[in-house]
Amino acid sequence: MLIGGVFALLTTNTAQAQCRSFTKRNCMTQLDGYMQNDNYNSAILIPGDEAELMLTFLAGQDYRLVVCSHPILGDIQFKILDASGAQLYDSEQASEERDYVDFQVQTTQQLLVQIAVPPSDAAILHEGCVTVLVGSK
Amino acid sequence: MRIEFKFRPIRPVLTGLGALAGLATMVLFGCGESGVTSQSDDAAAATTTQQEQPAGEGATSDEGMAVSNRTTTLKKIFHAAPSPMETASLIQRSGAKFHGEDLNATDKLKDYTTSDRQAISLGVYGADLSYATIFEENSAALEYLRTVKALAESLGLSNVISDDVMKRASDNRNDRAALINIVSDTFYDLNEQLKSNGMEDLAGLVVASGWVEGIYLATRHMSEAPEELKARIAEQKLTLDDVLRLCRSYEQTSALTNMLEALAPIEAAYDGVTMTQGAAAANQDAAVIVIGGGPTFAADDAALNAIAAAVEKVRNGLVQVQ
Repeated sequence: MLIGGVFALLTTNTAQAQCRSFTKRNCMTQLDGYMQNDNYNSAILIPGDEAELMLTFLAGQDYRLVVCSHPILGDIQFKILDASGAQLYDSEQASEERDYVDFQVQTTQQLLVQIAVPPSDAAILHEGCVTVLVGSK
Repeated sequence: MRIEFKFRPIRPVLTGLGALAGLATMVLFGCGESGVTSQSDDAAAATTTQQEQPAGEGATSDEGMAVSNRTTTLKKIFHAAPSPMETASLIQRSGAKFHGEDLNATDKLKDYTTSDRQAISLGVYGADLSYATIFEENSAALEYLRTVKALAESLGLSNVISDDVMKRASDNRNDRAALINIVSDTFYDLNEQLKSNGMEDLAGLVVASGWVEGIYLATRHMSEAPEELKARIAEQKLTLDDVLRLCRSYEQTSALTNMLEALAPIEAAYDGVTMTQGAAAANQDAAVIVIGGGPTFAADDAALNAIAAAVEKVRNGLVQVQ
């Protein structure tokens, strides 16, 4: 039992370390030209998982929201909602397929970012790293 | 845009340990800054994530894609707050002037000896560093970067600010954009390292104290504050909410509890800011989406002065040498 626990811990730590490496090598570059907001928000997700981030966006700032994911997870959908839950953006309705969105905020407000990993019918499901980055300028 | 990424194989998982590993993964996901909620109590109805694997077979494919041991889907809750660099940027764009005398003196560094105090100081000095960087006070910026480096080393994070980083900062001392990037990258790495090394509580202290120092610098000279700065200070009511939610999401150590208690007077002072909710709207016709509408804030000078006073008291408590 103890050995199993230690092994599980090592496995998890290895996965988390790979997620950090993934983020550094593949996601951070997408914030070129923006100041990142100091928050490391990454998780290892599987098909069907969801994630949320609520954050205050400040008036007059230009933002880039990046939802960077391992390709094994497929096309991650992400939405931006206002504090009342009204949808402001849906990546699936965007004119271009990309994993970031640029926007300007005229008034300071909290926005909710909802992320959904598409479900899969595969018998064996893979997990992959998902990272949310917010940059401003 | 999709990224090609070689996900290196995770070490083989023995079949009998798979479920335990998955459980541990879920438990660990629940630690720290982000909460996790299972979306299904019925494992059978949830995603089946692993089939029988031969004993000794790895839980990964040769392409390096990890096979999950998890049996239920989950919702991951991330927490974040605007950075001190963003706060400093707000101050600068409002037309306010730089006041170097308001920064926390770097010679106090040696007196911050416990990890909790060092984490708090890291947030404070980090905000000072951001403020100096944004205002292109390059000499001060480098001094505060050295201080932050020393604190990071004290916390066992010596790899974050290497000598190479210091050299790049020195070489780019007259390049504001380059310095901003170096500082932003540094604090992102510090946040990542703290969370990854099981020091989420310290990460929370850094964020909270950094926010306090940022708003302290914004509120020091209210009599000469431009109207835009006053508006931005009032709007920090929401950022404070971010900070509080973030700190409450961590396992509560005595230092975090103390921090939350310390922030209570500021929270009370912000009750003087009236927020009226309004629907947001996004204009997606432009090249860049413009989000307008949303809440409006109202605060008179008395309310702002009360905030400034509360922030000053809390901040002075944070930097006090014990």
